[in-house]
Amino acid sequence: MSEMWINMGPQHPMTHGLWNLRIKVDGELIVDADPEIGYLHRGIEKICEYRRYNEVITLMDRTCYVAGIAWEQLYIMAAEGALGITPPARAEYIRVLSQELQRLSSHIIWYAAYVQDIGLMTPFLYGMRDRDLVLDLFQSYTGARMTYEYMRVGGVRNDVPVGFTDRCRKVMDWLDGKLVEYEKVCDNSTIFLDRTIGVGILKAKEAIQDGITGPVLRAANVARDIRRDRPYSAYPEIDFDVAIHDGADCYGRYRVRMEEMKQSVRIVRQVLDWLDRNPGPVLAEKVPRFVGTPSPPPGKEIYVERRGYPKGRGFSSMEEPHGEAMAYIINEGAEHPYRAKLRSPVFVNIAAAKDYLIGYRISDIPAIMGSVDVCLGEADR
Amino acid sequence: MVDTIYSVVYALVVYALNLLGPIVPIAPSLGPGLAVWLSYLVVGAIIFAFSLVNVLVFIWWERKLLGRFMDRRGAMHVGYAGLLQNLADGLKLFRKQPFAPKDADELGYYFGPTAYLVMSVMILGLIPLSFGVSGGVVPLSLLVALALFSFAPLFIFIASWSSNNKYSLIGGMRTAAQLVAYEIPLLLAVVGVVALTGSFDLNVIVGDQARYGWFGLPLFLGLLLFFVAMLAEVERIPFDLPEAEAELVEGWSTEFGGMLFAFTMMGDYVRALIGSYLIVLLFLGGWSMPWGLSNFPLSGLVFFQVKTYVVFAIFIWVRASLPRVRTDQLLQIGWKRMLPLAMLNIVWALALVVWGWPTIHWPVL
Repeated sequence: MSEMWINMGPQHPMTHGLWNLRIKVDGELIVDADPEIGYLHRGIEKICEYRRYNEVITLMDRTCYVAGIAWEQLYIMAAEGALGITPPARAEYIRVLSQELQRLSSHIIWYAAYVQDIGLMTPFLYGMRDRDLVLDLFQSYTGARMTYEYMRVGGVRNDVPVGFTDRCRKVMDWLDGKLVEYEKVCDNSTIFLDRTIGVGILKAKEAIQDGITGPVLRAANVARDIRRDRPYSAYPEIDFDVAIHDGADCYGRYRVRMEEMKQSVRIVRQVLDWLDRNPGPVLAEKVPRFVGTPSPPPGKEIYVERRGYPKGRGFSSMEEPHGEAMAYIINEGAEHPYRAKLRSPVFVNIAAAKDYLIGYRISDIPAIMGSVDVCLGEADR
Repeated sequence: MVDTIYSVVYALVVYALNLLGPIVPIAPSLGPGLAVWLSYLVVGAIIFAFSLVNVLVFIWWERKLLGRFMDRRGAMHVGYAGLLQNLADGLKLFRKQPFAPKDADELGYYFGPTAYLVMSVMILGLIPLSFGVSGGVVPLSLLVALALFSFAPLFIFIASWSSNNKYSLIGGMRTAAQLVAYEIPLLLAVVGVVALTGSFDLNVIVGDQARYGWFGLPLFLGLLLFFVAMLAEVERIPFDLPEAEAELVEGWSTEFGGMLFAFTMMGDYVRALIGSYLIVLLFLGGWSMPWGLSNFPLSGLVFFQVKTYVVFAIFIWVRASLPRVRTDQLLQIGWKRMLPLAMLNIVWALALVVWGWPTIHWPVL
């Protein structure tokens, strides 16, 4: 068969979002690849410039629909840097708890989608079932399952409810067993191993050149994790291991994520113990008024719109479930950010599609693209 | 043996004609011939209806079992435990307007899935549902059934090519490669059974098993091979590459909607039904049961269906627990592993014949 271009997307089962993977195939062999994104662009960075600091949080939930709270914290950390606010310790721990629960739910949904891409339907539903428990936890202290709007400049909105820690521990105990089951389902399946080992290889050198981060980079045997290398929030006080694998292939990425889930459970347990021992406030006391006021009362706009607050710039970087996310916020003394810039790991990971797709087969595309873990909300922003 | 179902139906038809006689005058010379033809029609209709109901229940069975494997309940709301859900789905598809994509070749587009279904349903006429309960009675019924069975890739290819879609085309190519590759181990696995019985007649094959034990025991390798090859032939996970939904959207049937989609779907399930039937007939004793359990009237019919559903449950089990293989891996499994094993199976079957397997129809040895 002669070569031809195929548009896999924008609506295609493989994409897990709204993007277009153009591939040139020779029979079943991929000879060229050209990812196209932008179908989900909502101009979030621009909208940030027209919203007050706390109103931006709503947008951040929508940035990545499977890891909303991660982006909330990313923004909040940058905004706190720009405004010069320090949150209380308990808020930091609750944030870490949220991060790790979010990582669990994101990785579980990744696992579910990944095995389904490979054709294994049963664990898909197992994954969705167990993710629900994590979402229930979120619901119990943020009130929402997907778009939380929970973090605030200067802390978090509210403390965790009474009995939350015990409930959370129960879920973690349940997940302990389930994570082992997930691994068994895949590792004991010869077909799964055949489909993933040696497929979609991206070596460390290429990955670093492409700017790839997160589990994809760690699967190439690079121990790079912002939680450890440039710790933020309460991570310096927390004990965990960075999961790496030397396969540099789909299987390696799968192993890294499975290990990360176990580490997340470990972190959550530590945080829960800390939360039990250390009650306290969860919101900083001295937060500038315009930050805490979502909408000014009628006729009082003049007090809110006044200038003269301290100027500043805030940068934050964090280990989001998909990789390293960064945010940069310029505060020119107004109640809105002057400029906000977000760096999405998925954007970079998709852009390098050529490097890990060429030379494989059409059947490998779901296996490879699935292992990269694509979330288009944050890539397009 | 031929005439059990036909004799019953013929008697009923004659009775009905006699009842009608005073009302609708029928020429006496036309009478007996008409009754024969009418009984053909009635038997055909019975078998067709029986098979279609079976297909609907098959889909229900798959939905429910898959649901249980996946820790959910499956269809629940239409009918008792969702039994009528498939009927509702079918009605919904039936109400849709058939249309072809702009650049599709209309003849092939409409012909492909229709012929796929028709050719699949045709096979059902050859399969005895119990002793003497079959539409057509052919001495070579197994051979004819397998021949019709292997027509599918042609129609799939016509359908995929004429729908003018790259995914369909790739899916069609894959189907052709896959079905041709797995046809060979499938047929070679059958050779073992035929060697033991010396007949291509499914009735004879089941009769032999009723007398001397199911062929699944001496030809266990053949049973496994036939099962795996059948999985590939009916395009089920782990061999559902032609419609690998993760990469090819819906494979060769991507462009079909409405009733044409229903045809492809029904064709798949009719083929799965035939596959299960053939496994039961060739290796699991057909409608016969040990200890004389199948000697009661109509019990053979029931046992045959029960066995078929058990076999299909294994199909579903496999689907629930295995991922999909890749194209090259699929062909490797077919050519490098299945084919030598199929040869081995033939050698083993022939050795059984030489060592004196109690065959009565084998004319040479």
